[in-house]
Amino acid sequence: MNNAYLDGLASIAPEIVLTVTALGALVLDLVAKGRDSVRVGYLTLAGLAATAWFLFGQWGQPSHTAYGMVAIDQFGNFFKLFSTAALAIVVLFVMHDRRERRHGIGEYYFLLLGALIGIFFMVSTGNLLLMVLGFELLSLSSYSLSGFHKGNRKSAEASMKYVIFGGLSTGIMVYGISLLYGLTGTIDLAKMAGSANLVAQVSSNPIPFGIATVLVLAGFAYKISLAPFHFWTPDVYEGAPTPVTAFLAVASKAAGFGALLRFLGALFLDQGGTPLGEYGTRVGTMLALLAAVTMTLGNLAALRQPSLKRMLAYSSIAHAGYVMIGIACMTRGGFTAAMYYLAAYYFMNLGAFGFLVYFEGVTGSDTVDSLKGMGFKAPLISMVMVAFLVSLTGLPPTVGFYGKYLLFIEGVDNGLMWLVVVAALNSVVSLFYYLRVARALFLSKASDQEAAPAPVLTGFVTVLGVATVAFGLYVTPLQAWATKSLDLIRSATGS
Amino acid sequence: MGLGAYIAVSAALFALGIVAILVRRNILYVLMGIEMILNAANINFVAFNRFNGGGLEGRMFAIFVIILAAAEAAVALAIVLNVFHLFNSVKPAEADLLRE
Repeated sequence: MNNAYLDGLASIAPEIVLTVTALGALVLDLVAKGRDSVRVGYLTLAGLAATAWFLFGQWGQPSHTAYGMVAIDQFGNFFKLFSTAALAIVVLFVMHDRRERRHGIGEYYFLLLGALIGIFFMVSTGNLLLMVLGFELLSLSSYSLSGFHKGNRKSAEASMKYVIFGGLSTGIMVYGISLLYGLTGTIDLAKMAGSANLVAQVSSNPIPFGIATVLVLAGFAYKISLAPFHFWTPDVYEGAPTPVTAFLAVASKAAGFGALLRFLGALFLDQGGTPLGEYGTRVGTMLALLAAVTMTLGNLAALRQPSLKRMLAYSSIAHAGYVMIGIACMTRGGFTAAMYYLAAYYFMNLGAFGFLVYFEGVTGSDTVDSLKGMGFKAPLISMVMVAFLVSLTGLPPTVGFYGKYLLFIEGVDNGLMWLVVVAALNSVVSLFYYLRVARALFLSKASDQEAAPAPVLTGFVTVLGVATVAFGLYVTPLQAWATKSLDLIRSATGS
Repeated sequence: MGLGAYIAVSAALFALGIVAILVRRNILYVLMGIEMILNAANINFVAFNRFNGGGLEGRMFAIFVIILAAAEAAVALAIVLNVFHLFNSVKPAEADLLRE
């Protein structure tokens, strides 16, 4: 027991708090014999607040590595804080979702918190072993969560499809990592990038390295639902309980992007001119092609969805394509734009899912048709929903507009003009299906459905809506945060 | 036996796993395919560790992958059992409520 060990414990305090909270939620539910679901929810929220407090405590700390594996830096902190906030909102969704069953709520929160711990380790390590373990912790929790409604056939089918695709992609990724390990003799990304062996291999014999890189990227592509690994997304998002879908669409996807940014950043960023840098350019071209395919597929499929939930699933595929514009640039500026867009995506997508939770509770259905005239019955939440739709389309004055603007600027600066044109055309297409929802809300004849008030749910969805607009008008803090987070990634990957 | 032989075996196992996943209609074979892919990676890790020397990273990774495969199998089988109760089938093609 020495000081390094204790310092390490302080560094992973947020993860420890989460673990304790997860166990506490499980035990409290057992003690209350499943009758006090509200208190379990508040315990979870308290645990998340404590986690956020510890994360803010690590805010100004210099980047360092705990136990030679866990990188504590601003970059990880960015994703951790957003994921914690996202989970807090998802927990609020669960507490206010009329359709959510109350039985076994302890396991529900336990699995959600487990998924968050997975995210934490995934985004804060340069060690591929720990990254895979975090990845898998997140995946296993997600499989169980998407099938959580055991008697529900759709839920069961969703979890089965998820586990098949997830297992396959994890397997492919681990195989790719084994090849990278063979080429470099290390599983630490910082050492890997500096490995003389790797640079020699890349310049003389690039094929094995190429295969390994593509296989590892396949694993990430699955997590962020990038084509051609997006097939699971619509089915799982539709079948899973809505709060879980929100979690998968926002936190889980952003975590995949976080790990991907760290992986690409460590191996390829700022290495222009070197063999590894040239390779990075080629990887960037491949990612740009995939981005174009992903956003087009997502948007075209979203056009003809009668179900709002499934439409949001396809829209989340399209948004993964937009974020990839920034990553395909393979520059610091591009990565920053991608991170900014992910932050924007948190606000607008969580808000849209909050609206979905509300109106599924009211109408018991998730089709756009059943939305008709709801704008007059529940005006506040519907107006806020329109703000989210405007932001998802990428129109001013919202955070989605500025995010897209940054991505397009970076794309043009880095010679991806064609991709920016494709993305702009896609945004126009997306306008059709987003506005279809707005039209159903406000311009259709009202149905005789009664809209039951849900003040709390409406309240925090409105807060998200205000944030969506406010950060669109006043962009500096979020942008400065994203830039600063990325600046501090490099020093942290080395131990 | 050289490193090449090990890599050939693992590549073959990987390819067989992919084929099993793509061709088989029964989910249990699909899960076996996933196990084969993970074990192919394990062979690589251990073989590279043996021939490239240095540390125990590769072997450690292999042990963790074994644990990971076990955890994944447990979750996957629980899900398959649930699907079997609801659909009376373990074939993904017969559970098709979710589609366009």
